[in-house]
Amino acid sequence: MRAETLKGHLDGLLLASLETGPRHGYAIMEALRTGSGGQFDLPTGTIYPALRRLERAGLIRGTWSEGGGRSRRVYDLTPAGRRMLAAERGTWREFSAAVTALLEPAPQPVTP
Amino acid sequence: MTSVPAIDTYLGEVAASIPGASRARDDVLAELRSGLLDAVDAHRSAGLTAQAAAEAAITEFGDPCQVADAFRPHLAMTQARRVALTLVATGPPVGLLWTAAAMASHIMLRDAPPWQWPGVPPLAPAAFPVAGAALLLTIWSALATIAATGTLTRWLPNRPRIAAATAATAGFGAAAADLAIFALLASQLTNAPGALAPLPVAAATAASLTRFTLARRAARKCLAIRATLT
Repeated sequence: MRAETLKGHLDGLLLASLETGPRHGYAIMEALRTGSGGQFDLPTGTIYPALRRLERAGLIRGTWSEGGGRSRRVYDLTPAGRRMLAAERGTWREFSAAVTALLEPAPQPVTP
Repeated sequence: MTSVPAIDTYLGEVAASIPGASRARDDVLAELRSGLLDAVDAHRSAGLTAQAAAEAAITEFGDPCQVADAFRPHLAMTQARRVALTLVATGPPVGLLWTAAAMASHIMLRDAPPWQWPGVPPLAPAAFPVAGAALLLTIWSALATIAATGTLTRWLPNRPRIAAATAATAGFGAAAADLAIFALLASQLTNAPGALAPLPVAAATAASLTRFTLARRAARKCLAIRATLT
């Protein structure tokens, strides 16, 4: 799936990938890729600026940590990030229900 | 630090597309490096050779220019915020030093406002309003920059070009305020040098001179970064 298609949803997806616990950038990318069954295959390099943007907004917090002989910048959701994720989830449910209702209308009952 | 030649070349290309040295830039490049090495590890675990894994990681990360472009707004906003925060933090101490210098020189103890002193330097009536206006512009621009580059971006769109411009305005404003004070000081020195307390005035002058130099440099840097944003 192309990056343009994901535009507008990327922030929510990045927040969701951190819901279960802290992750570093590459692990976030892998979570998006495997979680979408390979559908979301963005240039990995562009995930990092998006993470910095979310960090600036106070939705995630990034800290350098050592592990496996390498320094990695690990991100964690902030309380504001959790609230934003819940809001995004609610908006998405309403939106997707409306789009589904329009694109895939339920079969009309056959009147005798 | 682990070095993989192909990755060093890739990071060199990203770095070349992000002009200017800064801690934020180093931080971004270090994070990209660790991510690329993670990608190499993942591809090696999948059975690729070291060279093939490095090539796969680079392909996966995308065009270096595209990656650099994506980082530019972040770097511009980081720089703008840093400049604005520094100006806000250093403004009051510089102001206090000048107030102390004025008081030590018995200027503030007179009963008249500064522009009605007896023996007032000829430049005073012009320099005071200029310094005041420049300071107001600096404070307003710096606070606007800080607001536009922090948690408010949760709700407001990111405007790196505007942030870089307001930070540059704050920097040039601070430099202009310092220049106005220097003009006033020079005027006082030629008019009535004996009225000034040497040490406090020298300390305030040194502080203002440092701020003038750094603020002007920072403002130019903000404009240079702004020019790289499309």
